[in-house]
Amino acid sequence: MTRPDLSQPRAAAPGTGGTVLEVDDLHVEFRTRSGVVNAVNGVSYRLAERETLAILGESGSGKSVSAQAIMGILDTPPAVITGGGIWFEGRDLLQQSEEEQRKVRGPGISMIFQDALSSLNPVYSVGYQIGEMFRAHRGMSKKDAKKRAVELMDRVRIPGAGARVNDYPHQFSGGMRQRVMIAMAIALDPRVLIADEPTTALDVTVQAQVMDLLKDLQRETGMGLILITHDLGVVNEVADNVAVMYAGRIVERGTVDDVFANPAHPYTDGLMSSVPQVEAKGGRLLPIAGQPPNLAAIPSGCPFHPRCSRRRLGAAATPGRECATDLPPLRLVVPGREAACHYSEEVLGV
Amino acid sequence: MGRYVARRLLLTIPVLIGASFLIFAMVYALPGDPIRALGGDRPLAPAVVAQLRDEYNLDDPLVVQYAKYVGDLLQGDFGTDFRGREVLDTIEQRLPVTIQLAVVAILFEAVIGIIAGVLAGIRRNGFLDNVVLVSSTIVVSVPILVLAFVAQFVFGLQLGWFPISGIGEGWYSFVLPGLVLAAGSLAYVARLTRTSVAENMRADYVRTAKAKGLPRRTVIVRHTLRNSLIPVVTFIGADIGTLMGGAIVTESVFNLPGIGRAIFDAVRAQEGAVVVGIVTLMVFFFIFFNLVVDVLYAVLDPRIRYD
Amino acid sequence: MTDQQQADLRHDEVEAGTTTGLASPSVDATDARQNSLWSDAWKDLKRNPLFWIGGLLMLVFLAMALLPQVFARGVDPRECSLSNSQQKPSAGHWFGFDQQGCDYLANVVYGARNSLIIGVLAVLVVLLLGVVVGAIAGFYGGLTDSLLSRITDIFYALPLVLGALVVLRTGTLGRGVTAVAIALALFGWMTAMRLVRSQVIAVKSSDYVAAARAMGASNGRILVRHILPNAIAPVLVYTTITIGVLIAAEATLTFLGVGLQRPAISWGLQIEAGQSLLRTAPHLVLFPSIVLTLTVMAFIMMGDALRDALDPRQRA
Repeated sequence: MTRPDLSQPRAAAPGTGGTVLEVDDLHVEFRTRSGVVNAVNGVSYRLAERETLAILGESGSGKSVSAQAIMGILDTPPAVITGGGIWFEGRDLLQQSEEEQRKVRGPGISMIFQDALSSLNPVYSVGYQIGEMFRAHRGMSKKDAKKRAVELMDRVRIPGAGARVNDYPHQFSGGMRQRVMIAMAIALDPRVLIADEPTTALDVTVQAQVMDLLKDLQRETGMGLILITHDLGVVNEVADNVAVMYAGRIVERGTVDDVFANPAHPYTDGLMSSVPQVEAKGGRLLPIAGQPPNLAAIPSGCPFHPRCSRRRLGAAATPGRECATDLPPLRLVVPGREAACHYSEEVLGV
Repeated sequence: MGRYVARRLLLTIPVLIGASFLIFAMVYALPGDPIRALGGDRPLAPAVVAQLRDEYNLDDPLVVQYAKYVGDLLQGDFGTDFRGREVLDTIEQRLPVTIQLAVVAILFEAVIGIIAGVLAGIRRNGFLDNVVLVSSTIVVSVPILVLAFVAQFVFGLQLGWFPISGIGEGWYSFVLPGLVLAAGSLAYVARLTRTSVAENMRADYVRTAKAKGLPRRTVIVRHTLRNSLIPVVTFIGADIGTLMGGAIVTESVFNLPGIGRAIFDAVRAQEGAVVVGIVTLMVFFFIFFNLVVDVLYAVLDPRIRYD
Repeated sequence: MTDQQQADLRHDEVEAGTTTGLASPSVDATDARQNSLWSDAWKDLKRNPLFWIGGLLMLVFLAMALLPQVFARGVDPRECSLSNSQQKPSAGHWFGFDQQGCDYLANVVYGARNSLIIGVLAVLVVLLLGVVVGAIAGFYGGLTDSLLSRITDIFYALPLVLGALVVLRTGTLGRGVTAVAIALALFGWMTAMRLVRSQVIAVKSSDYVAAARAMGASNGRILVRHILPNAIAPVLVYTTITIGVLIAAEATLTFLGVGLQRPAISWGLQIEAGQSLLRTAPHLVLFPSIVLTLTVMAFIMMGDALRDALDPRQRA
């Protein structure tokens, strides 16, 4: 394994532009009858135009919840956004009225989901559902909206769009359904597209086609893409930067090339070594030893310490950096790389 | 779809025949000799009795009697009661009353039930939700019989808002009996709607609708209610077919001259032809509305295809 | 059957022959699943007010049916004096007197026994018919199933009260408690049949029954050991609710004049006698109505609570 040149400052991925979305210290908790679940505990990141940011993590790491918080589609209650800001086009969405937030969804930020079959309404035709974007946000007539729907279906390369516009979701194959979702999401040229596990439910070959489509659309429109996934192969293939989440926090962040070549956090390291050949398409995470954290009772100190092979407890630890008691902040370890581990330098080997 | 309906119609024939034969056989076993009873204190002449028995096929074996009956039925002849009155006349005269009662009941059931269920389902565990849950539990448990008397006593006698007997005041006469007849189903519709709405509120496609930036009204009406009401509408449709069973009690207590009352009187008077005729009609309605519901289901939910 | 399938089958037979002693693991799996179902259900029931209210009411009415003299405060319901006719409730006679001048509390209390007996008896017959017909239809499938299902459809098309009304009017069953119970059961077993049938079909095609079958378990053993335990939960829910429904139906039939007859003591008869006096002595309809409703409610609430506890899918 060749070590990347860590002396270089963190560079924006080639071709990316100014910041379009900034998440600042976001906190989300779920208040349930059996207690408070701390789903997101201080997540911050920026997304630039034309950038693809992958958010990587196990289920329950808070990656989907933070995305839903950005979209403003968390079920409140039980979810409560307890702190932080979501800055889009110079405004904090969390400070805006419900109606102002609604107007951002679609033309500003839009989202596609994992399971297109359950995410599309079974009783309306796909043309109707795509057309709704134009009717709700542009006040278009039903007829015009349908015409635009056909154009969009063409654009996402659904064969025979004109003939299929009145078909229902269940009449499409999995890959085609996901294209319908994508058509809906890009209908109003959003600045940010959040894709939550967009290919998990699909066959490997179809996965590649859908990811290619997303990349092509990103090139055409310049939108920023947040890709939520636990699929290392997909991340490696399409993302510029990656943020690794664990127990509702970002534990490591950097460019995909850097992070994949040389992780700075033991958790990321575990993820990488659990997949022998990350380059292989469809390489999936294998579980790391130990249980994923219980978000209702997150371990003290570093949330990862019970599963960490490099943890230092008691006298073995540097004062103030005891893994079981001191929470490691996300900090710049080397230029262009942040990690939340007391001993990142050791993990990196610098 | 056409083929499905045709197939279903064919399948209903054995059920229709079976149910009417069942009733026919039971009525045949009714005690006493209705012909003799006709004469009252003075016994009829044997020749007259024989003629009447022949006219009503009373001396044939059961199956032959039934076959003859069905043969007549197919020609639109429901037969006559022992006083010579056409059963079809009785039905024509009584049916409109029951239809009016059923229309009022279904309106209550649909309008109040759905509104209550939607309000409860949208705000789960809210105040309205608990009100609907508790009151529907109570209403479901109150027998129609009891409800009828409570309604008569409170709204009729104490408050004097509604007539409690007969149909002298047109549609207004049907308000109280309609509400009583509908009550159980109304509570069920409210619960069904509540569960269905609450379930749909959590559906992935509702989340999608929100993510699309659709106005809250559109999210609720088009993406939640439209889907939630599929089971509700089908239940109400099927319920039309079963309302007539409840109409027996309601029409008796409120003294409404409808089909339910007619069949009750006919059973007591052992008017076999009337009982069998009306029951056959009821079963037909029951089957018919169930078929309508199946077709409706396919219309409302594009995933359902019967072909 | 293809050759491959035949080969598989032979393979299974060989395995079954060598591992007969291992038939128990799949049984244990069923037991374990059942155990956790019931213990989870109990945890859930304990927190459900419907369970406590319904259970309490059920106990009260059960005690009332067993020991009516205690609830009647020792008054004989048939000890009447016309001079007390239609008297309103008072401190000494909580429910007042009926038209014959009989203590109404005693009469209403003594009515519980017939209602409960008919409800329980009818539900037992319903279960017998429903389980037998449903299990046969579901287990054997094919033509047997079609035939039994059509017969069920026929009964299903007739309203409960109407069917029972006609049967009772024929007089072939008589007019006693047993007759009313049987008449109700005769037109009330269809839902039980459909329930059992669908359960049997669902469980029959499940993996653990396939495994038991592959290990050479007999049909009877599969039915008793695997299918019935799984059907118990929904049948229990259905049974509880149905007792309530049947008690209401009994009162209705008796009210309509084809159920129990005097001198039997029954809420239906009391309501029937009181209806013409609704204007002058509303308590004569009111008290049996309240007690009847509470009894029905007890069973329906308990059934609701059981459903919530036993069928997590239905739970809100």
